[in-house]
Amino acid sequence: MLHPRNDHISSPPVKNLGVLRWIRKNLFRNTFDSIVTICVVLFLAWIVPAVFSWMFLDAVGFNGDEALCRSADGACWPFMREKARLILFGTYPYDQQWRAALACLVVIGLVATLIVKRMKAKWMVLLWAAGAAVFVGLMFGNTMGLPAVQTVKWNGLPVFLLLSVFSLAAAFPLGILLALARHQDDFQLLKNLAAGYIELIRGVPLLMVLFMGLFVLPMIMPRGFFLEPLFAILIALMLFHAAYFAEDIRGGLQTLELGQAEAADSLGLSYWPKVLLIVLPQALKQSLPAIFNTLIGGYKDTSLVIIVGIHDMISTAKMAYSDPGWQRYGLEAYFFVGLWYFGSCWCLSAYGRRLERTRAK
Amino acid sequence: MKWFANKERRSFVIQLTLAMILITAAYLIVQNIRDNLADVGIRLSFGFLSGEAGFDVNESLIAYSASDSYARVLLVGFLNTLELSFVCILGSTLIGVIMGIVRAGSNWLGTRLALAYVEVLRNLPKLLILLAVFIVMINRLPTARQAWNLFDGIYISNRAFYYPKLIWDEGMVFVLMGILVCFLVSVFWRRYVKRTQDLTGRQLPVKWPVIGGLLITVLSISLLFNVPYQFSIPVFKGFDFTGGSRLSVQFVALAFTLSIYHGGQITELVRGGIQSVQKGQIEAAASLGLKPSLVTRFVVLPQALRMIIPPMGNQYLNLIKNTSIALAIGYSDLVSVMSTSINQTFRPIELMSITMMTYLAISLLVTALLNWFNFRTKIVTN
Repeated sequence: MLHPRNDHISSPPVKNLGVLRWIRKNLFRNTFDSIVTICVVLFLAWIVPAVFSWMFLDAVGFNGDEALCRSADGACWPFMREKARLILFGTYPYDQQWRAALACLVVIGLVATLIVKRMKAKWMVLLWAAGAAVFVGLMFGNTMGLPAVQTVKWNGLPVFLLLSVFSLAAAFPLGILLALARHQDDFQLLKNLAAGYIELIRGVPLLMVLFMGLFVLPMIMPRGFFLEPLFAILIALMLFHAAYFAEDIRGGLQTLELGQAEAADSLGLSYWPKVLLIVLPQALKQSLPAIFNTLIGGYKDTSLVIIVGIHDMISTAKMAYSDPGWQRYGLEAYFFVGLWYFGSCWCLSAYGRRLERTRAK
Repeated sequence: MKWFANKERRSFVIQLTLAMILITAAYLIVQNIRDNLADVGIRLSFGFLSGEAGFDVNESLIAYSASDSYARVLLVGFLNTLELSFVCILGSTLIGVIMGIVRAGSNWLGTRLALAYVEVLRNLPKLLILLAVFIVMINRLPTARQAWNLFDGIYISNRAFYYPKLIWDEGMVFVLMGILVCFLVSVFWRRYVKRTQDLTGRQLPVKWPVIGGLLITVLSISLLFNVPYQFSIPVFKGFDFTGGSRLSVQFVALAFTLSIYHGGQITELVRGGIQSVQKGQIEAAASLGLKPSLVTRFVVLPQALRMIIPPMGNQYLNLIKNTSIALAIGYSDLVSVMSTSINQTFRPIELMSITMMTYLAISLLVTALLNWFNFRTKIVTN
């Protein structure tokens, strides 16, 4: 008779390791891990108290005033209370700022409609055109009893949203066209032009393209035609993003099997139905991650417009802390702007991940 | 319309129309530019490049004064862009590789901190980080008079970082030549060692002979030619430091910002590369009895690098282009110098075409290098 001895039977793996063994397994497994752990702990021991005391312990709360801030070492939150509106809307006439706020909401609403699945392209174009018209109408005024506000007074969030959202939205279809032009063999001239354009734009910094928009674009306009700097920059941004979108989409087009287009040809579909019904939907699905990378990068890089003298939120933040009496609080101002960027970029990437999950099937 | 149904004919007609439209547009644009320039009384020409620039730069690798020409100030800007790019490429690669290894590793705390780092930097614009870093440095660092002193020779102030500079001596030419010879010899030695190992299995030492040879060469040449190693140490006099070298606070802020910004993106590339190596590869190597360090060196890294290098090249290209945000804090890079020159001469078309050509040339060069590298590391199959 066989008597299995107890010590031969291995016990099931222990799930609950106990604190010490967990630490040993996850923090001090080998020399490298130990070094990393020590470095991380030292770093955290330095940064966490520093940030915490800046934000809370040494800071002056929202209800304080500037005099209190002057003696404090940490953040000056009354600055936010005083200047939040300036950072958001800049020098837009104070009593008209509800228009700027409403215009921002319109743009955010437009972006939110993207979540709606299966909207027809026709309706989408109409909706965006209407949104743009409402935005400009609200901001510029001069209709329906609203006093006119010149574009030089447009600052802060509305300008940032106008430049980022509308340039990206307009660049996307342009990018598709460029990608299609580069991804075909029937029209060599068109193909080379598209390739040359894309490589030219991708080879130079965004800032250079913005300078081109500011200086060269008005110069190629007919005599006497005045292009507002704001709209020149909008066009420059659009032309820039289009090149990047085009490369993302071309990447998707290249992964498609040749058989897909050939099957569409053999069904007798002509070019546009073939592209719109067969090729593009699959290609776009493939290039979603790359598109979202470009989208978020382009959204963030819109901030570069302050260098060419367009006042987006970073610019109004600068205005806020240039005010005599509040000059020491630049970091608070940038913190406020950073919160906006962090929140909106996080939403964008969350939307991107969701889209990848749902469309990947 | 039967004539038009022929594919080649149709393609030809359409392209001809397109070409005509483009030529007309180009003609109109040239006309408009000429008209608009005539209105302000300017004719396109590059003659202004030899004129006196008349503005100063905050940092220069070559001798420059405000009375030098526009051509020279553009060269100064170009060299500054190169210097900044070089430092940022080193910095971001170092940060990215370390954080990427930590991120792909098994340390519970490390993976989370690396993730937080990547996420925060991904969601903030580089310009905002730059301005925040710059303002913190300006506000929190001491003035030049009360500069922090490190190791009795490095001074940190909110104007610039000062450090000792080696004073150049003729004899150093021989030292540099000696180092070059050592380098060449060590390349051949490595080849010889590899061949010996392939033929006989005998492993000859590489590390110690190379380091020892280098030390002996440098020491003996220095003693032989009596090379003086003297440092010029920065000293505070009047309103500023004299002696030594300086890095403007703008440069430091830019180098730091771009290094951590692109370091975050390189972290993700490195993580992706490491995780793309199949677990079976590592297990197979371990079952052959290779030490963990050798597994990393001979199995994981060669495979991971093939994944990492191509996107890394793109990252470097982006980094070089992103150095143009230097303009935001007034560091004299190529774009910043160009912008000042445009404001002074109102010659945007000439100046911009020079700058664009420069950037395009850099892009093409980096792309060519990258292709060469990809070709060299391609897996050779039968």
